[in-house]
Amino acid sequence: MGTRMNKYTSSILRNQWFLLLIVIAVISVTTGSINPRFYNINNLVNILEQISVLGVIASGATILIISGNFDISVGASIGLSACVMAMLMKAGVPPGVAVVAGIGVALLCALFVGVNSIVFKAPSFIISLASIGVFKGIALFMTQATLQTIYGEFEAIGLTRFFGVVPLIFLISLAVFLIIGFLLGYSKLGRRVYAIGSNERAAFLAGIAINRNKLVFFAINGLLVGIAATMLLSRIGAAQPSTGAGIELLAIGAVVVGGTPMTGGRGRILGTFFGVLLMGVISNSLNMLQVSPYFQDVTFGLLIIFSVAVSALSRKSS
Amino acid sequence: MTSDNLILKVEGITKSFGAQRPALSDVSFELHSGEVLCLVGENGAGKSTLIKILSGAETPDFGTILLNSKETHGLTPRDAIASGVATIYQDVELIDSLSVADNIFLGSEMQSAYGLGVDRLAQEKESKRYLDLLHIDIRPSVLVESLSAAQKQNLQIVKALHQDARILIMDEPTSSLGFEETRSLMSLVGELRSRGMAIIYISHYLEEIFEIGDTILILKDGERVGLYPRLAVDVDFVIHSMVGRDASLFFQRESVPVGDVRVIVKEMTWDEVVKKVSFEVRAGEVFGIGGLVGSGRSELVGLIYGMYKRSSGEVIIDGRKIPRGNPSSAIQSGIRLITEDRKKYAMFGQRSVAENITITHNELTGGALLNKKQEAVLTTTLIDQLHIAVASHAQSIESLSGGNQQKAIIARWMLDDADLYIFDEPTKGVDIGAKEEIYKVIVELARRGKCILMVSSDMPELLSMSDRIGVMRAGEMVKILVKDQSVDEHLLIKEFVGS
Ligand SMILES: Nc1ncnc2c1ncn2[C@@H]1O[C@H](COP(=O)(O)OP(=O)(O)OP(=O)(O)O)[C@@H](O)[C@H]1O
Ligand SMILES: [Mg+2]
Repeated sequence: MGTRMNKYTSSILRNQWFLLLIVIAVISVTTGSINPRFYNINNLVNILEQISVLGVIASGATILIISGNFDISVGASIGLSACVMAMLMKAGVPPGVAVVAGIGVALLCALFVGVNSIVFKAPSFIISLASIGVFKGIALFMTQATLQTIYGEFEAIGLTRFFGVVPLIFLISLAVFLIIGFLLGYSKLGRRVYAIGSNERAAFLAGIAINRNKLVFFAINGLLVGIAATMLLSRIGAAQPSTGAGIELLAIGAVVVGGTPMTGGRGRILGTFFGVLLMGVISNSLNMLQVSPYFQDVTFGLLIIFSVAVSALSRKSS
Repeated sequence: MTSDNLILKVEGITKSFGAQRPALSDVSFELHSGEVLCLVGENGAGKSTLIKILSGAETPDFGTILLNSKETHGLTPRDAIASGVATIYQDVELIDSLSVADNIFLGSEMQSAYGLGVDRLAQEKESKRYLDLLHIDIRPSVLVESLSAAQKQNLQIVKALHQDARILIMDEPTSSLGFEETRSLMSLVGELRSRGMAIIYISHYLEEIFEIGDTILILKDGERVGLYPRLAVDVDFVIHSMVGRDASLFFQRESVPVGDVRVIVKEMTWDEVVKKVSFEVRAGEVFGIGGLVGSGRSELVGLIYGMYKRSSGEVIIDGRKIPRGNPSSAIQSGIRLITEDRKKYAMFGQRSVAENITITHNELTGGALLNKKQEAVLTTTLIDQLHIAVASHAQSIESLSGGNQQKAIIARWMLDDADLYIFDEPTKGVDIGAKEEIYKVIVELARRGKCILMVSSDMPELLSMSDRIGVMRAGEMVKILVKDQSVDEHLLIKEFVGS
């Protein structure tokens, strides 16, 4: 029994993205047959738009989780970064400069988490949990908890669609997936991500500079958070401290659903891509089927628990 | 051995992990109470797989197991324990934060009167009885974290006894033990055998096998070569059946000329663990380091490599000072360390063999991108050179057999040229044939004028390989023996113990 089970779960994990593809297809066909508007080109484009921001965040989370780290403050740093950008634009700073400043803020937030977890040798999970309060507090103080609207001033990124159908932000997201996939699979940095996540002590003794590399991982994540904040701001045309809140859970969920174990050392970007797509399709289907939005949270929560369970099971069997 | 004390009968066991060749094919044997059955074979012969099947950690594809006159096609770990099979794995399964007695009674605690919690005193008294029975000198009330590796292993045996185990399985129990500890394990096994326990004992040390074995089961490439009474065979026969050619227990290394001093270690000190150790190593010299477990041997070489931060002292190679506490710069300065605990300090378990071999090479070469073509070529070369048995480059290193893992880790350090090679227990878990290959690698390095430091608990290895032997005792290097006829095992042991 035991081994048959082993072989079964390990082959599932090896082809997790394939399984996700099937699940996505089944959900799409089911939803489409109940509500044909699902197949409407506008709706499909809508799905792509909705998953773009999540995709960028989940790409960063993939690197961190494989390397054995977590940053759950990304939602709060999106809020802070978006608020900074919006306030600067409102004050008449050219959008380009504002964007650079906003991405810089996100980068600083990520380094804040990284540096603290390295200096205090504390799990980045805890440090980032505490950092949520810091980032949110700063954003609330800056904005005095008011909505920063920039309607019509910074729409180019969020609203551009090539040939009228392909959203620019989806292309950005796709590019991020490709770059991170390339880094993980073909660069020395990628090797270090896996090595540190698999056995940090052995990586240290094999001559890998642990702290410096961890900081680089956090910095890449910060950069992506800044890009995601820019995309989000341009799409909504307004920012407040709670912008982006909760996206970290969806991102971690997408990574885990995509077959990367929470314990690190293993995982692929392709899995994360399909994990993100699954989340987008589920969310859209629930809308199409007019399920209460509250129930969406329940669905995502259960989905994440389910995939963590699969990952725990496969760990036990190996 | 009559059939009425038959305790285990294994028939036609086959197990495949999906590689071309099954890990085990059609293996059968019988085990009787009071019998010590020694399982021998090359790295990857299927020894560990066989005992994993008996302990319920793996399920066979085909075959039957007759245990306590019950026939099954596969066991769960629970079944195995309930049927009296206790397995002692390398990675000790004890709880560090509990006392010795608590560990023995874990899961079957003695209740105090009125069911008010655990009766510690009674447990400790009962534990003491077991410990005394086996002449093991450990106090039941101490925490397990304060025990040595050998004591932990003994404790696992006591625990097995407490669980009424009738079959005790040990997979390479002495590979992390020193000389004296091995001696006491041998006598413990004898003691258990006289109490009617059946024992399956795996080891690459044939001296041990010929000392304690009643029967010897030889596996080769997953197949049973034969099951022989120990008295009916000799060492050469066993080696020949295992390896398929002749090999000697005692490696005759060729000598190479020794040149100028290249490595100087000066007053190396680390708190109370290593105290003012100084020595020099010349080009082409193999400097052995001997001592009892806990004498500070591994810590000393760890300090040279920068694995730990020395309190004071210096390491100088060809006039260059090596900064402290920084393995990365030690590697850049030409130092290599093969650690004694590969799982903890060297292996990236889930990652592929190729990744494990090339990890440091990637750090030492320039450029941000991997050169996968070159990586494949280098991996193939080393796999061939060290005869590492792998199904593919992409196989995870943790799915290799123990000895092949060790060879893959050694391969990692052969990719780039260096000046000082430190081997800490280089042949741990490695079969006789492969040991020779590793020795040849070491001699070849010496011939090329490299300096070699070798820590070993294996006396014949230390004696046959070293030009000089530094004796460590309680953190100090008390003596440096120049190897000549007068240095033998007896002398070494006397120096190690210090009396
Ligand atoms: N989980 C696994 N997945 C794939 N192959 C495996 C797995 N476990 C063992 N093998 C393969 O089965 C074969 C037998 O391995 P096993 O560990 O039983 O050898 P061994 O005789 O104990 O060797 P050693 O002396 O090196 O410990 C090896 O070729 C090994 O690579
Ligand atoms: Mg083995």
